[in-house]
Amino acid sequence: MKRKGITQDGPVHGLPRIATGIKGFDEFLGGGLPRGRATLVSGSTGTGKTVFLSSFLYYGIKEQGENGVFVTFEETPADILLNVKGFGWEFEPLIQESRLTFVDASPTDEVVEAGVKYNLSPLLQRIGHAIKKVAAKRVVIDGLDGLFARFSNKEVVRATLYALAMDLKSIGVTALISAERSEAGAGLSRYGAMDFVSDGVIELDLISGQQQFIRTMSIRKLRGCEYRSGVVEYSISHRGIEIYPKIDTESLVALTDFSVRRKFGITQLDRMLGGGVPQGHVVLLSGNTGTGKTTFGMQFIVEGNRTGEKAVFVALEESITQIKKTAVEHGWDFDKPEQEGKLSFVTTGLIDISPDRLLYQIVNAVDRIGATRLVVDSVSSLMSATMSEEQVRQFLIQLSAFLKRKGVTCVMNYLCSANFGAMKGQLLSNIMSNEMRLSSITDGLIMLLYVERGQSVRKLLNVLKLRGSVHSKEVFRYEIRKGKIVIQGKYEE
Amino acid sequence: MNQSRQIILRLYITGQTSTSRIALANLKKLIDEELLGMYELQVIDVLQNPQLAEEDKILATPTLIKVLPPPIRKIIGDLSDGEKVLLGLDLTVR
Repeated sequence: MKRKGITQDGPVHGLPRIATGIKGFDEFLGGGLPRGRATLVSGSTGTGKTVFLSSFLYYGIKEQGENGVFVTFEETPADILLNVKGFGWEFEPLIQESRLTFVDASPTDEVVEAGVKYNLSPLLQRIGHAIKKVAAKRVVIDGLDGLFARFSNKEVVRATLYALAMDLKSIGVTALISAERSEAGAGLSRYGAMDFVSDGVIELDLISGQQQFIRTMSIRKLRGCEYRSGVVEYSISHRGIEIYPKIDTESLVALTDFSVRRKFGITQLDRMLGGGVPQGHVVLLSGNTGTGKTTFGMQFIVEGNRTGEKAVFVALEESITQIKKTAVEHGWDFDKPEQEGKLSFVTTGLIDISPDRLLYQIVNAVDRIGATRLVVDSVSSLMSATMSEEQVRQFLIQLSAFLKRKGVTCVMNYLCSANFGAMKGQLLSNIMSNEMRLSSITDGLIMLLYVERGQSVRKLLNVLKLRGSVHSKEVFRYEIRKGKIVIQGKYEE
Repeated sequence: MNQSRQIILRLYITGQTSTSRIALANLKKLIDEELLGMYELQVIDVLQNPQLAEEDKILATPTLIKVLPPPIRKIIGDLSDGEKVLLGLDLTVR
């Protein structure tokens, strides 16, 4: 029976794997590349194939003590050496130390064909020789499909690729091969060489967003291995490649710990919550503009820091600078805890937002400082960004699974335009239809509302839902006085 | 012999296959007839010398390289078409 998810602690069934060292990639593959096999990375220009290959080799040498061979059919070794410097990878010393060597099959010399009676065995000889020279365990081949364009005898090329696949397998190296994937269907697939050249195929895509490109990858096949299906996003920055694998939401279902309560530090509110927010819960804090949602979120952070906890603040509404300024106005200093590693900020642009990347920014920040509290200001920003409703749902489901597994408690702000209205009943139906999508994936709902009474506008607070916990059903008045939240009496109509 | 007119040719073969022998024979005939013996021919077996094949960036055999005079030219195949070989080598002999 094939399992969809993969347990974090158990062994991965199937072939032994080799770690690529590419962030998130090994996880996405279900452990790493299959050892001793050849995997093909297929994608159009600009998808970062060469960076993948370079990264795999570099990591192998630096971290795993596995020497490597770089066979290049497109770029010259000199160009590659220059390109990888941009990521801070110095290949020259590795070449000097005989840990890395190039097989330069780039098209620099013009070759004239006098007839079709030739074979490509020198290529095989050179690769074999290079592998022996540095006792390589890893081999990367960049632009393998280029062979078909350069030689008119396609049969010879096919036969050579077959022989190469056999050679690599018998030597026992782990190979990562790149090929172009173009509309014209040129290259490996057109000549039917795809299947025997590799035991696995990973496809890279570049999709146009509104302002920038969005990079995705998916596993087309990975013979003999279990892996997570689906499409994931990745990015290439000066740091290298980073893949954002989906967070496992099926196996190891973690639960809220009701014995631990995370307080706001506002006595009345914590009482209304039955002692505080249960650890692992994701609570939606819903209110109109000006109800003080951000202040509540900040208060949650401040109380956490006060009791020695660490927190992450996801700032999507205002800039981090503005948040810090606002905090100062409330009498709170966010610079100090940040410097001390007790508070971390996460932010991202909202156009062409990558939900997976944001998820990983949050995961990384939480892991890095060991946070137990998370505030997201606000989830409404995500919904108005270039993210579909389904993407927001998936983002929240994955975030929730991660937070529960880690025991992180979350307060998420949500902009709700509903008012108290003339009748209480009207309020509830408004709320439920607006928040319906979210209420099934959040564990709690705190409502902040306005009500007009005579000449004044009052602010009201109500815990509408708190899964699995006793909580007050009453409505209380509150004020924000001198920057601090003050809960007053019960609301009398 | 005038150095600037010296021709150095290098033929890469993979072992003693029939294609290797044919290429070598064709080449020798061509040289004797067209270049009137003013040449230096090196025959390199890729199986014996993969390092040289790497340095010359050889992908196919048989490959004939004109090392001198510049520019470097490469021709692959069994070299049976003499005219094509000469054209490819960019050698004009009168």
